[in-house]
Amino acid sequence: MRKIRVLYLLVMVSVVLAPLAAVARQSGVPPTVKDKAQIEAAVAAQAAPTQQAKPAPAPPAAKKPAAKKAEVKRTEPIVPAYSGIREKTAVIVFYVWLWFSIAVLIYFLRLWIKEADRVYKAKYYEPEESPRKDNPMDPVLGD
Amino acid sequence: MKIDMKKFAAWFDDRLALTPIFKYMTKKEVPQHEHSFWYYTGSSILLFLFIQIITGIMLALYYKPTLEGATDSIGRIMTEIPLGWLVRSVHSWSSTFLIAIVMIHLLAIWFTKSYRKPREATWMTGMMLLVVSMVFGFTGYLLPWDDLSLSATKVGTNIPMAIPVVGKWVTQFLRGGGDVTGDTLTRFYLFHVCILPLVIFAILAVHILLVQKEGMSVPLKDEIAKKKVPALPFWPNFILREVVIWLVLLGILLTISLMFAPSLELTADLMAPAPEGVKPEWYFLFLFQTLKIFPANMGPVTGEFVAVVLILIAVVAIFFLPFIDNKPEGKKGKIIQYLGVVGLIYAIVFSIWSLL
Amino acid sequence: MRIDNAYFTRRKFLNSILGGWLGAVAASFISPIVKFVWPPYKEPDEVKLVFADYSGMQPGEVKNFPWGSKPGLLKRAPDGSFIAWVGVCTHLDCNVSWVAAKQQFFCACHDGWYDENGTNVSGPPPKPLRRLEPSVEGEDLFVRKPGVGAKT
Repeated sequence: MRKIRVLYLLVMVSVVLAPLAAVARQSGVPPTVKDKAQIEAAVAAQAAPTQQAKPAPAPPAAKKPAAKKAEVKRTEPIVPAYSGIREKTAVIVFYVWLWFSIAVLIYFLRLWIKEADRVYKAKYYEPEESPRKDNPMDPVLGD
Repeated sequence: MKIDMKKFAAWFDDRLALTPIFKYMTKKEVPQHEHSFWYYTGSSILLFLFIQIITGIMLALYYKPTLEGATDSIGRIMTEIPLGWLVRSVHSWSSTFLIAIVMIHLLAIWFTKSYRKPREATWMTGMMLLVVSMVFGFTGYLLPWDDLSLSATKVGTNIPMAIPVVGKWVTQFLRGGGDVTGDTLTRFYLFHVCILPLVIFAILAVHILLVQKEGMSVPLKDEIAKKKVPALPFWPNFILREVVIWLVLLGILLTISLMFAPSLELTADLMAPAPEGVKPEWYFLFLFQTLKIFPANMGPVTGEFVAVVLILIAVVAIFFLPFIDNKPEGKKGKIIQYLGVVGLIYAIVFSIWSLL
Repeated sequence: MRIDNAYFTRRKFLNSILGGWLGAVAASFISPIVKFVWPPYKEPDEVKLVFADYSGMQPGEVKNFPWGSKPGLLKRAPDGSFIAWVGVCTHLDCNVSWVAAKQQFFCACHDGWYDENGTNVSGPPPKPLRRLEPSVEGEDLFVRKPGVGAKT
């Protein structure tokens, strides 16, 4: 019964909420790998002057001397993107690791929950009602 | 060198005397019945609040709360700072999740009538928390300072004008002047990162203390029948179950943040006409639509005034619900239950309607 | 194999796996957070300037130019070539200025002096000013870190 409830909540949250909120907000496309140079090229391709959004460790972008206050306006929305294939790989690996860990942790947690319930039902910590007659320790699980 | 945990704990206990708190946690019991699943909503809200604080602090390291710097600083976060776009996405989606679960929490309390005696104050502090969360969302929405959020803030801060006498003052307080300007942005930022966190911590502390003091409520019919409901200890049984829920929610949050990361639109232009499709965040949509359906003039007053007054009456009524529903087992109690369903349907229908 | 009395129980083992894994998940969040909070800072490898702004410099004259977020110092040598340094004091990072009357660079923070070649001569600075390599290419004046070749 409880499992169905959990599933139900999960489905409700992800299916109902996500599309509704994604429609209601400005949703970006799933991030794709975009080289910094690529972004710069795309931005620079605009007819109007565009904004430089990143520093230039590589070929320097046109540096504006401090004296001149050039009118630099962005004309394209900034779409979330990975800064390189390294970052994308790292995020994907982390994401898979997280879900795998969640699965492993839930497996162990279920064992621990069952044990905690069993111990509680056996009234391990209440010496008057417990079938055991020895002194219980402080109520801390584990030894 | 072996660290003796017991000695370590004893050092703190000698000075802080926290043992009663731990003893209480082991004694606290959570009833198990057919509706006990909804007990998880409370701690899930805390999970998302925690995530908001962490991601919020991270974003605030680079965000510049001025008219000139706001949008560009977020652009920098998204392009220059490693995984900045992801942190922003998590902060944005976590706010949606937080308010969604707050509303689910409210509905669960409504339908199980957990607000009845002696938990009236818990309900009222909870209502205050709902309002504060929505103000959090409202203030945060302006911070990217793009066309859409500017217009939505203009509309939102205009609404108090409909209230006679004090309305103008409220609007001027919110905006830092007569219009939405850079001052509004700085003011909203201050609310969002300083004033509202202090307020929410204060009210949350009272709310949680009340919950511990009164204990967890049981369904109405069990209380009437004076049935002894089987219960689980909070520690460790219930906490372990909560951890499972938290892990799953965390995974879902990350999934959606990765798949639907928000982009950053163009900087707002104070002189430009309002863009098409101006709308607030989803949790205000039904109120937005309610305002829209009233005609411009209704006799001596504006339609907006009538709408605002009706909404205020509804909010006050819901705030005092435990006192209105003083006979939960009677017919009035049943009607209020159905009113809850009606309210939910109204909110969903009007939200969807406002998007069409 | 069944051990009748054991200090390290199955329960302890499973507990440590659970706790350890939970800790590992929490730790895996630390790296992205750290990367975010401490973003990579890179000094530019080279800076392109408009030569026309500096072509009129007299021998012995010193001008500033932007080197990333630090000031750079450009000096015209008597033979007409350029010398460049990062205009930041090697003591505690204060910006350095050129005192023409003494033909030395001066750091006001702790009274540090560098001679006209950038060598530290007086005061607390432990090292000479960092050298950069300026080169005129057509209409542009490039200033590069030593060892960084021209980029095509």
